[in-house]
Amino acid sequence: MTRRLPRMPRTPLTVLLSAVFLAVAVLCALAGPLLAPHALDQDLYLGTVGAGVEGHLSGTDALGRDVLSLAVLGTRSALLGPVLVACGSMLLGLLLGTLAGFRGGWLDTVVGRYADLLLALPAVLLAMVVVGMLGGGYWVTVLVLVVLFSPTDVRLVRAAVMEQAARPYIESARVLGIRPGRIMVRHVLPNTVPIVVANLLLNTAFAMVALSSLSYLGLGVAPGAADWGRQLADGQRIMVDNPLAAILPGVLIILAATSVNLLGDWLAERLDRKVATR
Amino acid sequence: MSRADHDPSARATTPTAPSAVLAAVPLLSVRGLRVDGPAGAIVAGVDLDVRRGETLALVGESGSGKSMTVKALSGLLPAGVRATGTLELDGEPLPLDPAARPWRTVRGNRVALLLQDPFTSLSPVHTCGAQIGWALPGKPSRAERAKRVAALLAEVGLAPDTADRYPHQLSGGMRQRVAIAAVLAADPDLLIADEPTTALDATTQHEVLELIARLQRERRMAVVLITHDLGLARSRADRIGVMYAGRLVETGTGAQVLDAPAHPYTARLAACEPPLDRRLPLLPTIPGQVPAAHAVGAGCAFADRCELALPDCRSRYSPLLAPAPDDAEHLAACLRIGESAALPVPAPEAAQASEAAAPRTGGAEPALLVTGLVKRFPRTDRPAVDAVDLRLERGEAVVVLGQSGSGKTTLARCVVGLERPDAGTVAFPLSERDGGGPRGRRTTDPGRVQIVFQDPYSALNPGHSIGTTLREALRAAGRPDEDPADLLELVGLPREYVTRRPRRLSGGERQRVAIARALAPRPGVLVCDEAVSALDVSVQAGVLNLLARLRRELDLSILFITHDLAIARQVADRVHVMHRGRVVEHGPADAVLTAPAHPYTRQLLASAPAAH
Repeated sequence: MTRRLPRMPRTPLTVLLSAVFLAVAVLCALAGPLLAPHALDQDLYLGTVGAGVEGHLSGTDALGRDVLSLAVLGTRSALLGPVLVACGSMLLGLLLGTLAGFRGGWLDTVVGRYADLLLALPAVLLAMVVVGMLGGGYWVTVLVLVVLFSPTDVRLVRAAVMEQAARPYIESARVLGIRPGRIMVRHVLPNTVPIVVANLLLNTAFAMVALSSLSYLGLGVAPGAADWGRQLADGQRIMVDNPLAAILPGVLIILAATSVNLLGDWLAERLDRKVATR
Repeated sequence: MSRADHDPSARATTPTAPSAVLAAVPLLSVRGLRVDGPAGAIVAGVDLDVRRGETLALVGESGSGKSMTVKALSGLLPAGVRATGTLELDGEPLPLDPAARPWRTVRGNRVALLLQDPFTSLSPVHTCGAQIGWALPGKPSRAERAKRVAALLAEVGLAPDTADRYPHQLSGGMRQRVAIAAVLAADPDLLIADEPTTALDATTQHEVLELIARLQRERRMAVVLITHDLGLARSRADRIGVMYAGRLVETGTGAQVLDAPAHPYTARLAACEPPLDRRLPLLPTIPGQVPAAHAVGAGCAFADRCELALPDCRSRYSPLLAPAPDDAEHLAACLRIGESAALPVPAPEAAQASEAAAPRTGGAEPALLVTGLVKRFPRTDRPAVDAVDLRLERGEAVVVLGQSGSGKTTLARCVVGLERPDAGTVAFPLSERDGGGPRGRRTTDPGRVQIVFQDPYSALNPGHSIGTTLREALRAAGRPDEDPADLLELVGLPREYVTRRPRRLSGGERQRVAIARALAPRPGVLVCDEAVSALDVSVQAGVLNLLARLRRELDLSILFITHDLAIARQVADRVHVMHRGRVVEHGPADAVLTAPAHPYTRQLLASAPAAH
């Protein structure tokens, strides 16, 4: 007897808008240098001008660079870094969480302590210290954030794996003599996909904010590079002359993080339903 | 589709019943109750009457619509289903819409609901006293509340200090008593008990049912008891209503319905109940499956599975009619009501019978030898399994009988290598490789022993087709070229099922697939951990018959773990009774289950429902 579940509700407008925004952002990230070839061209003679002056739609920054072009070019560092942080920390999470959840024993204890320790530390603060000590740089920042973001993923995957591992079909597979690695790949991991995907997107949103914050503080990207956080920090100083220089990157950060969050929630719910109904 | 207009002479509701203590007007009266879900009807026309002080048992298998009927009666229909029909409480009409205003004063106060699982029906973060206090009507003062909570606790036989304890500090039986106290707080007229003891052990079950019966007498409450257990219905109910595919097919007193059933379904269902006092060579089953209520056309829902069905049965639905004209209490919805004084229940084929009936007597070939097995879990005060010895011969079935917490499941898990014992050995003398004990990581050899678990719904990976599941098992067994459909055939399932997903299978079918998977490595020993306990009686019987056949055909040894005495009786050549981690008694099934030597076994037997 198969009972039909209520039909999937229509995709909400907010999710559609988020998807459109992110699609445009991804396009900008991929084709940034083509779309805004003169973004880094300084015009110190012009200096800071407001919106609409000399064809600069949203004005220029302190170095006379076009704010909009700079924002378009900055999309790459705004998206790539967070996605890498989320994927990297999830990879760590899958590796350690799976081992800890399925093997248990001392390994579980070690991994658990690792996660506890990192969770006890304030991530962004620690990132500032470590990145500052290591001398900064975008990729160093990304790497540090991967490590700092991993404990939630480790715990999440560990819990999901433990919940799965106690199920009779997993135990039957064990008694049948199927190797643990195979059980993991064939039976356990496919059923953790919904929460893995959901957390991937959530972490992307968090990492966006974290990376932007670090850039804002002068850590992360090199001075003068196109980056939303950096732009926001620089733009603040010329708020009076061209408010858009700060507002545009700020709004973009908010929009990007919100869109990823909304899309993540929606996707997680969909996947969850799919797993539940099959 | 109200059936309220059928022949009035055949009504059970005429208040001329000789039981003078019962009030003239039924406390609860339901007419033409119909519940529709997204896929169609779930309950398709039910008429019920419950009188004051009376217990009505609603009996049915899964899919019969009994849970949805209860939800409608207690005003708790979930979103997405609609109910029609009329509901009257003490002559006052009640709306079926659960959001309707009258329910706020009725639900909990006049109609109370006792749920199955005492482990989840109480809040874990509040004391028992607080939870009982919430159910008190009005706004009593703090002192008054404490006094009334104490009185209620005393009424259900719990110490006053239980009020300050949290549910996790209590046993299952005590929790159910707390739940009963909470349910009684508002002094309801009608108690609806939905499988109130299914989650409890036999002995606790007995105590809780006695308690409900006593409270009912003292308070002259009406009780609607929902159960799948016919024995329990017979021993506890004044009247029984049998539900099938969303319809009420028969009502009457316990003796009428179960001893002289007038509906073929009731007859077949009653026959499926395994007897406690003897071992049947082949258990009766009902072929086919319960159809979904919405899939039944104009005819009788049981017609497709009924060998008494006439062509008429498929096109015409029978109202509830009285088989004996002088007794308006006993009604059945069958067109052949008059002629079926004693409905013939088809006897199982006698040929197989004699062979299966003969219990195996111990040969000299042990297939499994457990010696001095000890398993202790960290942070527990006593070992879960404490020095257990067990011997299982080739082709023999040994039942390990025990209540929850007796260690029987831990024993089973040690045998198949899912737990590593702290001391003692598990040996399979018949297999080439000898082993067991803490030697290496893999303590199991799939060719020696396999296991079937209790819950059919989590036995199979929902994402894999049946074929994928079986093929994986065959590959692991080193026989990748064999056809998984052969395994399906072995367990009595159609070969086409290889392409199906588990969700399209019924519970019994899933359990058969689980057995097929366990047979893939051709084990010498099959461990069944409560393998039929989650199944309906008629399905249960089919799976037990299958296990008996496999034993014969494959010379399989079976270690069967169960808490159910009747099932133990049907399966066992020999029985081991476990209590608190130890085997307190063991011997041939006949001896242990008819003349128990140990007081604990005697207590177990005394609390079986059929003993009343």
